[in-house]
Amino acid sequence: MIDAAAWVCLLLPLASAIAITLAGTRVSRRLTGYVSTITTMGAFAAAVVAFIGLLGESPEDRTHTTTAWTWLSAGPYHFGLTLLTDQLSVVMMLIVTGVGSLIIAYSLGYMDREDEERRFFAYMSLFVFSMLLLVQANNLLILLAGWGMVGLSSYLLIGFYQERPVAIAAAKKAFVMNAFGDATMALALFLLIEHTGQLDYAGVFATSPQSGTAANLIALGLLGGAVAKSAQVPLHTWLPDAMEGPTPVSALIHAATMVTAGVYLIVRCHTLFENAYIVEDLAAALGAITLVMAGLIALVQTDIKKVIAYSTMSQIGYMFVGAGLGAYPNAMFHLMTHAFFKALLFLAAGIAIHALTGEQDIRRLAGVGKLMPYTKIVFLIGTLALVGIFPFAGFFSKDSILAASLDRGWYGATIFVIGVVGALLTGLYAFRLYFVVFTGEPSPFAREHYHAHQGKEGPVSMLWTVGVLAVLSCVGGLLQFAPFWDPLSKWLDPVDAPIATATSWEEWFASGLSLSAGLLGIFIAWSIYAAKRRPAPKPVTLFEKKFYWDELYDLVWYRSTESLTRGLYAFVERPLIAGSLTAVTSAFGLGSRELSTAQNGLVRSYALALAGGIAVLAVVFLAAR
Amino acid sequence: MNDWLTTILIFLPVAGALVVAVLPLPRYWAGSLAALVSLIEVGFWITAATKFDFGSADLQFAQQASWLSDLNVSYHVGQYAFSLWLVGATTVVMAACIVYGWWIGRERARAYFSLMLLLTGAIVGVFTAQDLLLFYAFFEAMLIPLYILIGVWGGAGRLRATLTFVIYTVVGSLLMLASIVVYGLQQGTFDLTKMGPSTSTWLFLGFVVAFAIKAPLFPLHGWLPSTYRESPAEVSAVLSGIVGKAGLYGLLRIAIPKFPTVAHDWRIVLLVLASVSLVYGSLLAWRAPDFRGVVLYSSLAQAGLIVLGLFAFNDLGLDGAVLQMVNHALISATLFLLAGMVERRTSTGELALLGGMARGRPALATIVMTTGIIALAVPLSTSFAGEFLILAGVFQQHWAWGAIGATGIVLAAMYMLRAISAVLHEDVGPAVPESALDLRAGELAVVVPLVVCLLALSAYPNLISGHAFGTNKVSSLIGVVK
Amino acid sequence: MHGPEIQWYVILSAILFTTGALGVMLRRSPLIILLSVEIMLNAANLLLIAFSRLHGREDGQIFAISVMAVAASEVVVGLGLIVAMGRRHVDLDVDKLRTLRG
Repeated sequence: MIDAAAWVCLLLPLASAIAITLAGTRVSRRLTGYVSTITTMGAFAAAVVAFIGLLGESPEDRTHTTTAWTWLSAGPYHFGLTLLTDQLSVVMMLIVTGVGSLIIAYSLGYMDREDEERRFFAYMSLFVFSMLLLVQANNLLILLAGWGMVGLSSYLLIGFYQERPVAIAAAKKAFVMNAFGDATMALALFLLIEHTGQLDYAGVFATSPQSGTAANLIALGLLGGAVAKSAQVPLHTWLPDAMEGPTPVSALIHAATMVTAGVYLIVRCHTLFENAYIVEDLAAALGAITLVMAGLIALVQTDIKKVIAYSTMSQIGYMFVGAGLGAYPNAMFHLMTHAFFKALLFLAAGIAIHALTGEQDIRRLAGVGKLMPYTKIVFLIGTLALVGIFPFAGFFSKDSILAASLDRGWYGATIFVIGVVGALLTGLYAFRLYFVVFTGEPSPFAREHYHAHQGKEGPVSMLWTVGVLAVLSCVGGLLQFAPFWDPLSKWLDPVDAPIATATSWEEWFASGLSLSAGLLGIFIAWSIYAAKRRPAPKPVTLFEKKFYWDELYDLVWYRSTESLTRGLYAFVERPLIAGSLTAVTSAFGLGSRELSTAQNGLVRSYALALAGGIAVLAVVFLAAR
Repeated sequence: MNDWLTTILIFLPVAGALVVAVLPLPRYWAGSLAALVSLIEVGFWITAATKFDFGSADLQFAQQASWLSDLNVSYHVGQYAFSLWLVGATTVVMAACIVYGWWIGRERARAYFSLMLLLTGAIVGVFTAQDLLLFYAFFEAMLIPLYILIGVWGGAGRLRATLTFVIYTVVGSLLMLASIVVYGLQQGTFDLTKMGPSTSTWLFLGFVVAFAIKAPLFPLHGWLPSTYRESPAEVSAVLSGIVGKAGLYGLLRIAIPKFPTVAHDWRIVLLVLASVSLVYGSLLAWRAPDFRGVVLYSSLAQAGLIVLGLFAFNDLGLDGAVLQMVNHALISATLFLLAGMVERRTSTGELALLGGMARGRPALATIVMTTGIIALAVPLSTSFAGEFLILAGVFQQHWAWGAIGATGIVLAAMYMLRAISAVLHEDVGPAVPESALDLRAGELAVVVPLVVCLLALSAYPNLISGHAFGTNKVSSLIGVVK
Repeated sequence: MHGPEIQWYVILSAILFTTGALGVMLRRSPLIILLSVEIMLNAANLLLIAFSRLHGREDGQIFAISVMAVAASEVVVGLGLIVAMGRRHVDLDVDKLRTLRG
């Protein structure tokens, strides 16, 4: 039953994508939206069924695998198309299909009357299928397959507005950076095949090298993929550009699900990472660097979606910190709550953007909260959850990660400090955004361009879905409050036993400190942007230029490859081709001309040649005797 | 009846060619007869595939008849599992190309179709010949129809292109002939199933050079750009998809198994050339100015990848190589056919002049996008499966090859996405007329089956990878060369 | 057997042949070259008949008669060509007659 539910969950979105593609223009645009929404909700129902099924079993039995057929084999190596339904995967399934169906339902309103609506919903269904394949895979090859397909769906959706060169360029950039991560993951898999002869989770985790260079390289390769997919330093530059896609895409892919795949990977393969402590610590370090850097950049962004994007980058940094330090259930918990409030933030922003005909600049959106009270409230809820104010969701999840970091000696303590600084920054940039956009007097632009949708702030589908997410952001955090109750940790324990857990006093200390930092950030933001007590500081160029990463990569990767290729064309290919076409033919011509000088028409030279030839033959015959 | 299957597969198209050439049919009927013959050929192949015993490592559907008895040369044909798959790719691709040629209406139709059918028979012969002189005969027989097809129906620079193509191929073939004769006389027989291994470096090189020119591999690919650009689209599809595979098949069937120690000694050289082909081809494809340029340089890169797999000398590499051979045959055929379809609408293949073709043309956009992303080996596609096996196999030779191959993953993404976007996305290019139609029913009938095959293989690549060598053991063919 | 020994015939034949060969290679007038060719042919004839007498068989003599027939026909053709060239006032110089070239 659980197996059947797993297959239904996986295949419904795929069926939807295929059906929409094949139906083409024969069906109405609305219908494709409904098909996509209903299939995703169906997948969610199947995930719930699987979850209930697992609930009814004892913790040791909660691992179900089901194989369709052998996908690939070569000699003694076999890789099956196998799904795994266990505690961890079912959590991810619920998040992906749950939040996914809400966002797709939202898109019914947001994408209404778009020319290419059908394509959009086909791609969204394809994405949900790919993400499910990723989290339901039972071996690393199928995980990599889902991984790549998710990157593909992201490319298709970022480049949705395909007449815009900026969007196409952003889509290509995202795909190529993710392809780099795919390549490093593939190398890790090659190492695993060499050392263990298989890629199934159970087999690999049991038999992979426990230490040494191979173990480090394997973990490093997987980390490369995770860093690329989750937009952590140094493979993060694609995420802000990805905001070219429609807002629901940003919500689903670049906030709630795809970018969290890296965290899932580390948690799932924690055994491999624990065999390579250095790499796991590296993951935590990268997360820490990212969370601060992204926070700083978010302070100076003027595009509402870009602020939220950098906020995502920063929050995933927290998740990487959690996973990297070994606090796996904490990282997963933050993944879950983040999915709720980040999707909420994007979708709420989307309502405002939609109402102001696509405007995304916060200076022009300023004050729109007065015109859209519902949006203002839900956005506030999301922001409070993001900053981690009690009792909203982020408070419980983010602080638990910080608390666990205190369990890891001086390394963890350093990261703890960075995390607290990050909390301050979060409060600052998040409430800067809220105060600028949703409080105060509406800007002239906002007044002029605001148009209500049939008397409401937006289409109904957009409003109710955002409402559900707001509720989840309020209560979702109550799932786990570490000193008192931790059902999620207990649920996930058989799959990913943490190696860093916080004691009670660490929890209180961390919560208190991070809450204070967040409140301090809010206060500063309030004093600058709301109460206008101090003038806004001039934006630091370093932050505005996003720490010059784009420029660096352009120089190191793009320009150098371009010059290399041009050089190859000029110095290798052209001579080779010219050589083939002309040199070959002229060589023959030359030889022919040289030889034909013997045919000079002079009888006497022919006679000489005759005589000479006869003499040689005579000698040869005599000698052969 | 079973034993006759291979001979039928070789000579049915030849017979069809003769009939088409002789009967004074009008263009449409000549074409439909040719298309019918090619589809019957596919039917025969499907029959052969269903009757094939994939658990056995022996030669199947074999037939032998003495030809030059005092030299021990015979007409000996038969199929191994990997030959079966290559023959299958051949029949499917040729059927698609013949139907395409029929649909667009080539001039001098009877000559055209008889040549295409002759080509089919010759290529199937290459993949099934088990006697070296017979193999050589079919190898050369491929050249004649190709020369005429390119020289008569090709583009503006076709004469130079054919001359280059022929010179390159014939030079290689001469070296191969010398090797064949010496090797055959040494062994006392020309029958591949009976010849023992040899340790001569020169004989090995004679074969390898010929196959490396055909495949092609860097630096012997000088004939590639002009030939592929000047040929008619469907002939390029055949050239890149199947004729190139003849070279790779030769490496697999002859060069490696019959010269195991020499192949082992020379593997570094070949692996270097293959890696260079992969990276060089990918980089050049990234900045190729026209769509055909992208596809032809990607063929160079893929040939390099397949040779990486062949010279990995293990199960992973060889199974991956066979799978990738079939994949690439289907993929490059589809891409060249699509290039032809775009060119017919816009009179150019220059990427700078194209763009925005996706608007209002959903079928074209979907097919180009699907083929493109399978071509760049997105994970879960069959080309990814082949690439993964090859790289996992060659990684075990030495990690460096795997690392270089992994860069190919990123490079493929770069060049393929650039090509797709240059054709479909952004602003409408100056060469794209408003009136350019979406893919019509005839064109869809040609490319959709190819794409469906690719998608089916993506769902189950094990169909080929697990059934390429009897009992799934590469050692049955070549012995494990360390 | 009476008459000179065989070696004298061989020597004479060799001298005659060499003279003819040198004439072909060194002289420029086609008439002289034709003449030298005749000398070469007669040198061969001499040798044939001398050895025929040595071995006491007629084969050499029969062969010599065929050679004479061939020589005669070839002289007719050659002289005819030379007369035709002379009539057209073509310079009878073999070094200048080189239109048939590659």
